[in-house]
Amino acid sequence: MLLFKELMWFFKQEKKSYGMGIFFLIGVALINLFPPYVVRVIVDGVSQENLNQGVLIKWSLLLIGAGLTAYGLRYIWRLLIFGASSRLGRLLRKQLFDHFTRLSPQFYQKHRTGDLMAHATNDIQAIEMTAGMGVLTFVDSVTTGSLVVFSMSFFISWKLTLITLLPMPFMAWATSSYGTMLHKRFHKAQAAFSELNDKVLENISGVRVVKAFGREETEKEAFRTLSADVVEKNIAVAKVDALFDPTIQLIIGISFFLAIAFGAKDVVDGRLSFGQLTQFTIYLGQFIWPMLAFGWLFNILERGRASYDRVSALLKVKQEIREQEGAMDRVPSGQVAYEKASFAYPGTQRLIFKTMYVEVIQGQTLGIVGKTGSGKTTFFRLLLREFDLSEGDIRIGGISIYNLRLGALRKAIGYVPQDHFLFSTTIAENIAFGKPEATLEEIQAVANIAAIHEDILQFPDKYGTLVGDRGVTLSGGQKQRISIARALLLQPEILILDDSLSAVDAKTEKAILKALKEKRAQKTTLISSHRLSAIEHADLIVVLQDGQITERGSHAELMAIEGWYASTYRSQQLESLIEEGGA
Amino acid sequence: MVIRRLLIYLRPHSKALSVALVVLFLATFADVVGPILVKIFLDRHLMPRSFDFTDLLLLGSGYLGLHLLSVGLNYYQLVSFNQIALKVIQQLRVDVFSHVQRLALVVFDKTPAGALVSRITNDTEAIKELFVGVLATIVQNVVFLIGIFIAMFSLDVRLATFCLVLLPILLGLMYTYRRLSTKVYRTMRKELSFLNAKLNESIQGMNIVQAMRQEERFRKEFNVINMAYYRAAISNIRLESLFVRPAVDLIYTFALVLVLDFFGFQSLNGPIQIGVLYAFINYLDRFFEPVNMMMQRLSQIQQSLVAAERVFEILDDDRTVPMPVSAALAPSIVKGQIEFKEVSFSYDGSSDGGSDVLKKVSFIAYPGQTVALVGHTGSGKSTVANLLMRFYPVTSGEILIDGTPLSEFSEDELRGRVGLVAQDPFLFAGDITKNIALSRSNVSKKDVEDAASFVQANEFLRKLPQGLAEPLGERGGTLSSGQRQLLCFARTMAGKPKILVLDEATASVDTETEEAIQTALEKMRKGRTTIAIAHRLSTIQDADLILVLHNGMIVERGTHTELLVNEGLYQKMFMMQQGTGV
Repeated sequence: MLLFKELMWFFKQEKKSYGMGIFFLIGVALINLFPPYVVRVIVDGVSQENLNQGVLIKWSLLLIGAGLTAYGLRYIWRLLIFGASSRLGRLLRKQLFDHFTRLSPQFYQKHRTGDLMAHATNDIQAIEMTAGMGVLTFVDSVTTGSLVVFSMSFFISWKLTLITLLPMPFMAWATSSYGTMLHKRFHKAQAAFSELNDKVLENISGVRVVKAFGREETEKEAFRTLSADVVEKNIAVAKVDALFDPTIQLIIGISFFLAIAFGAKDVVDGRLSFGQLTQFTIYLGQFIWPMLAFGWLFNILERGRASYDRVSALLKVKQEIREQEGAMDRVPSGQVAYEKASFAYPGTQRLIFKTMYVEVIQGQTLGIVGKTGSGKTTFFRLLLREFDLSEGDIRIGGISIYNLRLGALRKAIGYVPQDHFLFSTTIAENIAFGKPEATLEEIQAVANIAAIHEDILQFPDKYGTLVGDRGVTLSGGQKQRISIARALLLQPEILILDDSLSAVDAKTEKAILKALKEKRAQKTTLISSHRLSAIEHADLIVVLQDGQITERGSHAELMAIEGWYASTYRSQQLESLIEEGGA
Repeated sequence: MVIRRLLIYLRPHSKALSVALVVLFLATFADVVGPILVKIFLDRHLMPRSFDFTDLLLLGSGYLGLHLLSVGLNYYQLVSFNQIALKVIQQLRVDVFSHVQRLALVVFDKTPAGALVSRITNDTEAIKELFVGVLATIVQNVVFLIGIFIAMFSLDVRLATFCLVLLPILLGLMYTYRRLSTKVYRTMRKELSFLNAKLNESIQGMNIVQAMRQEERFRKEFNVINMAYYRAAISNIRLESLFVRPAVDLIYTFALVLVLDFFGFQSLNGPIQIGVLYAFINYLDRFFEPVNMMMQRLSQIQQSLVAAERVFEILDDDRTVPMPVSAALAPSIVKGQIEFKEVSFSYDGSSDGGSDVLKKVSFIAYPGQTVALVGHTGSGKSTVANLLMRFYPVTSGEILIDGTPLSEFSEDELRGRVGLVAQDPFLFAGDITKNIALSRSNVSKKDVEDAASFVQANEFLRKLPQGLAEPLGERGGTLSSGQRQLLCFARTMAGKPKILVLDEATASVDTETEEAIQTALEKMRKGRTTIAIAHRLSTIQDADLILVLHNGMIVERGTHTELLVNEGLYQKMFMMQQGTGV
């Protein structure tokens, strides 16, 4: 019930829909009291033999009228209440999505996509259910229940009502205790099912081992045992689940028996007409649904409650990266400088960078190298403000990036991430991702620089070819080059290539680097790479190791030092020789 | 078609099913008789005011007795139908799983693991809904409706005939609803999948969206899809409101008018049995709940059938592992000599040579020898191991073991004699003993212990609280990769293979286990023909023959010293590894 209170803001917002809906719902409950009354009139007429054609036609027409009115009202309240609950779903989905777009990568590191998806779909569905079915069940069972009991006791006989309703509490008790039992068994069945799921996943991931050792039969046997366990646990569920209907049947049967037995006595004693008795039994029939619905309501509310808590918790997550007050809305340009920069990932102790200094003069190229995990990607993420420094400052053209609006900062930067993510739309739209209004000429121009234009022309629909499941499957190198074109289209002050040429062959790499040099003469470029050939030409190269810069200088200078850079460079030279086949 | 195939699964349960059906009939019969007894009471006792005590006792106890019987039988049939459905699904699951075990490795390469898992578990679960929810509900409710009609006919043939009119009306309603709802429902599913796709993509690409400042555009795009889904949901609500409960309730009102008028007009011409009127009204009251229930299940049918189609698709996949050509001969592996004769292979099976990953590879490994394959990533060295393991059929050429074509060995013989150590040490859930023995009948507990000490795993096993009985967490996550690799060695050695295939067995090494792994490998190779695929050249320097592969071809062959003198690819690779100290 508490959930209804928490959803009050929405009920208020949809005052009209809920108000009218509930009004009509009560109207239907009132109309429902009418047919049993008509039955009583006709039955009494028949048994007292004082019926005539006129009376019969009159009541028939009234009954049909009532039926049609109820139909209309039912249609309207459904549309009103269920429509409103759909709007709640729509609203929550929108809020959640908007919120998602404001959260930084830190958040996405902590939450798995699958979980976030589940919140935005299943949980919102459960909340929708509460706002629709939940409200309906609550209002309907309360009004129908009380109206029926009221009519039975005031218009017919309160004594008979009391007697026939005697077994009902037992039904409520039984169904609720079945519910608890079912809950427990259901959990066991779920556990058995997920064990089965794990087994299948293990079998399929280990298919080579299974086949190499000829273990297919053993695996089948294990699967058979587990699936038999699933059946057993589910039968245990079915045994409780199957109790509901017969129990209800039993109680209702007894109630009817009591109604007829004691009602008959009242008829004999002249306290009741036979028509009234018939009317009474029909009301009794109408009372079943509210009894059942009430048990069901708690189920809906329980699920909705858990889901609403999860969704609200998500909506309450604060943005980690925030703009300072009075941040400047100016696109920065100029020298990029990391000053005394120290950084540890939030909630961890290990410093990724320790008081680091780097300066890149405007128009120059910086190459960053180092082993996996040395912090190359983190270096860029700090500049993009996906994370904020623990200490120190990063300045562009002398202005601290923390004094800039996020939008302005990001406008200055073209980012090509390591995991080249493309969207499932056309190639042209992917390249024009950051500038949807770009012309085809602009798109082709950057595709040329990224050495992907020729590849695109080979695709069935050229630039209109869809990417992903419904279109072409791109190679890693092609995806990388499209990512580069995407960043280039923005003509950024600062271009970041985060190991973005790893899947591109040596010749193409050279071509791209050459084109970049020509087209971006006055602009700054930051490149990290595993393959040293990609940064060989850089004006400044830094080697990252354990949070420090261990070597820095131009290619020639670093080769002269004979350190990590020189030995890695030589071994990579040899490696590429081997890949080309030796001699 | 799909339905028929599903129904075939019911065949083994025909007996249980018949019993359940009979019980259902009895339960329904006992249930529908109730109002008739009430009618007898009303017409023979209440109306004429004749209350014979024994008669009343008989009627009352008859009513309650039948009612209790019906309740009991109903419980029984509900449980039975469930049991049958669950067993059918179990059989279906075992069938799919077994079939998947027979599938060739190509299928696993091309299908994501998640998709296969989902076929075996989730889709079969959806079919369960079809059996439990739909079939059982529909059978039960149809039987109940028939029961009501029989009771009605026994009371008043003329009125019951009138009531038959209800059937075509209800069927028409169901038919129209189903037709319209499939379309609306499909639109709704489609919009939902758009919504999910957009959400999924946005979450995954959020860093790009933010880096390129496209948040506003994405919010707008999501809003459009969100709106479309809402509209689809509304048309679904509209349709349901028009055709489901409200409509059935309206038909109930019409039926009530029919019954009342029938008796009313009849009573104008002469007396009628008031009890019959009561019974009819009572039946009408109960007639419509089953109809509602069936209508609600209709939309589920479609979903379950789609799931069933996907499951059958897997069952019909005929890319199974080929059976040995002549099982009757049953050749065995005694010496362990391996010969590759001009073996070519391409994953798509085409023999035009364009997509070959191996090109006419020939070599002989004499019994007890170690042949090492080296080359850079993609040179085709792992393919040699895969072909020798008969994971894929060769495209052309021939592989012989002890002079007999590989295809002629039985699965048992081949798997028993050829031991593979794969690159990625895969462990199953369960304890260490189970992982080494893999429930092979020819591997005793002592074999497990021997194998463990043979591969130098004892040292770390001793440190585990339960030793060999130590349970392993998810894929052995509690062990280091080197320790896992040692266990995989033990697993292979416990089967006492004649031939060893080491596919980059030293890829998963850590400093703590390095020495143990080296010693183990040396001991393992002794006296066994070994095909070793090596990444680290230092591990195969003593091989009898080293083959250097490049682009699927053997470009150099010889011993370590011969190849070094040669100053070719091998020498460069060796220099590179020495130089960087890898």
